[in-house]
Amino acid sequence: MIEALGLTKRYGAVDAARGVCFRVAPGEVVGLLGPNGAGKTTVLRMLAGILTPSEGEARVAGHAASDDAFALKRSLGFLSGDTALYQRLTPREVLRYFGRLNEMPEASLTARIEALVQAFQMGDFADRQCGKLSAGQKQRANVARAFLHDPPALILDEPTTALDVVSGRFLLDAIRKERGRGKAILFSTHVLGDAEALCDRVVLLHQGQVLDDGTVADVVSRAGARNLTDAFLARIGATA
Amino acid sequence: MRPLIVWHIFRKDLRETLRDRRALFTTVVLPLVLYPLLFTAIGSFTSNKREQLAAQAARIAVWGPVPERTVQAVLADKGTLVERQASVPPDAEDRARKAVADKTLDVVLLTPEGASGPSIPLKVYADSTQLQSEAMQQRVLKTLRKHEASLLEERMVALGQPAMSARPLAVEEADLSSGSRRAASLVGSLLPYMVLVLLASAAFYSAIDLTAGEKERGTLQTLLTAPVHALEVVAGKYLTVVTMTLVAALANIGSLSLAIGRILSAEGAQDSFHMSGGVVVALFLTLVPAALLLASLFIAVGVMARTYKEGQSYLMPLLFLVLFAALGSTLPGVELTPALALVPLSNVALLMRELLTGRATLGLASMVLIASFAYAALGLLLAARVFETEQVLLSGEKPWKDVFARKAKGGFTPGNTLFFVAVLVVVVFYGSLPLMAAVTRQQIGQAIALSELGFFLAPAVVWALLMRVPLRDALQLRLPSRRGLAGTALLVLGGWAVGLATGSVLDNFQGAREYGEQLGQLLGKHGPLSLWAAVLLVGVLPAVCEEACFRGVVLTGFARSGSRALAVVGSALAFGLFHVNPWHIAAATVLGLVLGYAAFESRSLLPSVLLHFVNNALQMVMVRVPAVKAVFESWTAIGTGLVVTAVALWFLRGSGRPPTASVPGLRRPGSVGPSGPLGAPARAE
Repeated sequence: MIEALGLTKRYGAVDAARGVCFRVAPGEVVGLLGPNGAGKTTVLRMLAGILTPSEGEARVAGHAASDDAFALKRSLGFLSGDTALYQRLTPREVLRYFGRLNEMPEASLTARIEALVQAFQMGDFADRQCGKLSAGQKQRANVARAFLHDPPALILDEPTTALDVVSGRFLLDAIRKERGRGKAILFSTHVLGDAEALCDRVVLLHQGQVLDDGTVADVVSRAGARNLTDAFLARIGATA
Repeated sequence: MRPLIVWHIFRKDLRETLRDRRALFTTVVLPLVLYPLLFTAIGSFTSNKREQLAAQAARIAVWGPVPERTVQAVLADKGTLVERQASVPPDAEDRARKAVADKTLDVVLLTPEGASGPSIPLKVYADSTQLQSEAMQQRVLKTLRKHEASLLEERMVALGQPAMSARPLAVEEADLSSGSRRAASLVGSLLPYMVLVLLASAAFYSAIDLTAGEKERGTLQTLLTAPVHALEVVAGKYLTVVTMTLVAALANIGSLSLAIGRILSAEGAQDSFHMSGGVVVALFLTLVPAALLLASLFIAVGVMARTYKEGQSYLMPLLFLVLFAALGSTLPGVELTPALALVPLSNVALLMRELLTGRATLGLASMVLIASFAYAALGLLLAARVFETEQVLLSGEKPWKDVFARKAKGGFTPGNTLFFVAVLVVVVFYGSLPLMAAVTRQQIGQAIALSELGFFLAPAVVWALLMRVPLRDALQLRLPSRRGLAGTALLVLGGWAVGLATGSVLDNFQGAREYGEQLGQLLGKHGPLSLWAAVLLVGVLPAVCEEACFRGVVLTGFARSGSRALAVVGSALAFGLFHVNPWHIAAATVLGLVLGYAAFESRSLLPSVLLHFVNNALQMVMVRVPAVKAVFESWTAIGTGLVVTAVALWFLRGSGRPPTASVPGLRRPGSVGPSGPLGAPARAE
């Protein structure tokens, strides 16, 4: 469903990503793990069709960014720390705006917005300007924006960063529900505990390259570690 | 580019901007409130000060042997003697300066010691940097001139001559200009500068907020995750900045006019300044291209920045350039000339001044507008190019290298097509000047041939080669389908009616009739061209050359946006623009819409070439053969022709074949347009 096929991104002499390959199947949550500067955001941006790869191809639901970037974007919900909400619009207005950009019919868009407002418990703040919301409320609205057009694939870049325990738990539950609905979910995080609890597989990325790809148990085993954190540190340290 | 998506982006950006109370206050509320208050206060202060000075006595010191009669004459005109010394102090100038600076004196009269004879030297010291001292000096000088005249009369009488012989010339100062004219002149100098500055300020803040501000807030990347073209984003933001800029312009023009009128009234310009509705509309229309240019430049530069603060740093030099350009209208002696009409923003400021003082001419105004729209198109091209540069949008690091790096793929884009049109404007403008200067009336045929081949066909072919687009695709050199051929045949039978119907409507206007008569004299039976030469030069050549240009590369380029509306309307507007005369532009644009639709839908240049030929050739025949003119100009014939045209367009709709791989993204064909300044006859396009 989500496919990174030899993705490479060069900025002058620097390779932010080199030949990155992995797949995320429907109904699967894959964690993309790596230290700061590993190239996670670059890879995710290429998969989302925001960045053009220097080499390789990004595919989502069979759509290649190079052939039909719009079809790819319509098949994808993307959320990252860099995708903020408009401070002077309300969550309901933000959702309507992105629904229109996705060319959703007005009638179904209205129904979908109301459903999301209910599902994400946004009733109290859906008509308040985003600039006046708490971090947790903003993130709920942002997740609702990513889920709005009900895409078959989701890319979530460090979605729990800066959230309190309650909001973080709420978000992880939402991701599990989407997995249950057959969505392919690529999940990037620094919180390895979240990855261990949520991910069916993890991909370790370091210096723009994939170091390992497998289930949490496999990755831990291959690293000869006791848990994912130790495995992560071992792999990073082995190549540092 | 999808207009509906652009509309959604525009609406969202406008809503956000209007909710920014600081921006709204600065661009709209502040000028509405501040200028009346400011100018009223200044007017009131100036008026009071003038009255105060008129009533106040001048404080005068007299040093040296100034004649007593002279002193008394000066003191008699509201003068108070503060100090009198028979001798001149050694440091007279320094003492005078200090006394005036300390405000103990206004004026010092000084005659050097030992002065005698028929001409007594008299110095009148004052400080021109001090309002009161200067005003009192003027009063004393005026009194002294009168006193001098009186002394001269006495001397003439003493010599046995009549007193009036002391005034061989009875000079009287008189200003021919009316009060309102003087007021308009003053406003004409000030208002364009102030309006342009405020216009730039409005564009400045809107553009930073919607580019660098959005980047800093992280919302630009959110937008890029949605299925939108970068061009749609820039178009939406562009419209928002232009809207805010024009709203600010309206607020400022209205507010400043009232405020300046108030101060002029206080200054004594009794025929206070009034702007007619026509002038206001003309001013606003003049500001539109300026707003378009400023918005595009500020957006293009603003998006380079990563933060709002950085955006201010980037845009500040640009703002200073705008201020410098706008200064042109305030400089005495600077007039709007053909050369200055090409200087961006200065031309707008000068045209505004001409409009306000009632000296604007249609020719120069057209030049200013055409040049300004061309610059705005270039600015928009730059903005579009910047927005297509992903690294600039995502980070802003090392942007210029990316923006101007040569793209690997060739091919037309809406952006580079706009650039082509802008370059063509420059080529035609500068090329036609020497051409028109070099040819005589008898050589009009050569001029038409040269302009058609040199200004339209050659640039179109060169552009296609530069963009590495095969000529077959760039110029739509393919036959229509069978359905398209049927449509083409019908279009040839009835399409001429479009030009005649437009001409009949335009004939209701005096300007259009005069223009038609001028062209008729040049290209009609009394002109230098025979019928066959006219059909060849005005019928065949424009049909081939202009169609290759406008329904070829221009329409094909705009069609790459995926929007039929942009391709057809854009190519028609470009086609119209090159007809220079406003009436001809209107007629050509209407015909351009039909030509563009036919070419787009059929994916062939053939229908538009044939209709263009029939349209122009028929005009040549009609101006020579009255019987033909009578038949075709009847509303029965025109009505029938229009119905046939509608059927033809129905046949042509969707008749084109699928796009070829060599022009990816071109779902249907596009086309090209009309003639240059020398290239068309009465309503021939």
